[in-house]
Amino acid sequence: MTFLKILVVDDDPVTRTLLTKRLINEGYTIDTAEDGRVAIEKLARQFYDVVLTDLIMPGGVDGIGVLEEAKRINIKTEVVLITAHGSVDNAIEAMKKGAVDYLQKPINFDELFLRLDKIRNLKMLVKNASDLREAMDVTEKTSAETIQDLEILVTELNGRLSAIRATLLQEGMAPESRIRQVLDGLDEA
Amino acid sequence: MVKIRPEEIKVLSNYIYNVSGITIDASKAYLLETRFGKLLDEEGCKSYSEFYHKAKSDPRRMLEKKIIDAITTNETLFFRDTSPFDLLKHKILPDLIDVRSGKGTRPGTTNLKIWSSACSTGQELYSIAIVIKELLGNNGNHKTTLMGTDLSNAAVAQASAGTYNKFEIERGLPREKLHRYFTPAGGNWKIKDEIRAMASFRHMNLMQPFVGIGKFDIIFCRNVAIYFTLQDRKKLFDKIADVLEPDGYLLIGSTESLTGICPRFIPKRHLRSVYYQLQ
Repeated sequence: MTFLKILVVDDDPVTRTLLTKRLINEGYTIDTAEDGRVAIEKLARQFYDVVLTDLIMPGGVDGIGVLEEAKRINIKTEVVLITAHGSVDNAIEAMKKGAVDYLQKPINFDELFLRLDKIRNLKMLVKNASDLREAMDVTEKTSAETIQDLEILVTELNGRLSAIRATLLQEGMAPESRIRQVLDGLDEA
Repeated sequence: MVKIRPEEIKVLSNYIYNVSGITIDASKAYLLETRFGKLLDEEGCKSYSEFYHKAKSDPRRMLEKKIIDAITTNETLFFRDTSPFDLLKHKILPDLIDVRSGKGTRPGTTNLKIWSSACSTGQELYSIAIVIKELLGNNGNHKTTLMGTDLSNAAVAQASAGTYNKFEIERGLPREKLHRYFTPAGGNWKIKDEIRAMASFRHMNLMQPFVGIGKFDIIFCRNVAIYFTLQDRKKLFDKIADVLEPDGYLLIGSTESLTGICPRFIPKRHLRSVYYQLQ
């Protein structure tokens, strides 16, 4: 997951093209949607690491609508909202609904790249942690089987050793007979 | 970050051993730095020696508690490794109830005492409570007393609150159980009262004598003895043997073994699980 797959959602073709160009230059994989409805269709078809969406869009589904749907489809998709200058309240509302971050227009690209870097690092950390957990679970499971088998085996062997000891100590039987009985017992086992 | 000096490793490891029984090998000195770095800053200590002296000289032992909270591992899950809970549901509880309801003072009634001896933040004991609820429902003839203890005060406090964040709830707990036994609480999940009421939690150091805790029918002691020396493990399981009913059950971690540790216990197998009973 070196480079994130990003869905850019904006009804303004100029912004869309500009964002796409700059992000591709940075090495990101980009797809675009011209409104919220198209964005949701695309989100339902395939997974995006990040959705970068304008807050206010025509056509019935705005940025918040995209955010809610993206999170419903896959909780692991992170959503960054782009808001008009000065509409911080809306942005905070969006953060409460699960957006990871927001940017104000006009977009400062250095800032955007920095935020995306952060998201990428966070995703890598989460993936590392879950990979480690998985590895730990597998190791734990296989070693548990071995240890438990050995635990039972040791107990059985101890039981047999006690039986051998009892036989060897048996009085009223010739030493050779005791040894023979022990050997017979071992052959059976 | 403040670096720990070689001579400080020994002093601090000794101190941790004395207050918690946890042994820290000199090769794991990095563990001291990662676990205590933040606490050192908070306490305004410039070195680990200063930190140690501060902890030792605090008559209210507040820093000692914080040190214990920081060094104890709280890696725990609801239904961590499902096999002990399957074993409980399909073998141990039915067997114990059969045996006890026959010979109880009032036939048909039982009171099973279950102890989660290193309960951490409570997931194990609540998982046990859920199994009991699902097996026995509201059958008033079968009473259960569930006790959870842990060395860490912070862990005991969280266990008592019964509130978990989404990361703690995410793994191990099936969705259907989450919705049945928990209620959402401001981004977190809180165990329902009917389950919470079945369990009680308190602080306890397994290295110290077990005083006044009575006897138990089932003891869970999973993944805690691994932090102790062989000598201390022997003492621990000997004390556990003392507080287990003669026909009681002991469950240890799936990768743990009692071979060479406590001859009073014999391992028994049920399907893919191993449990222990007294000789």
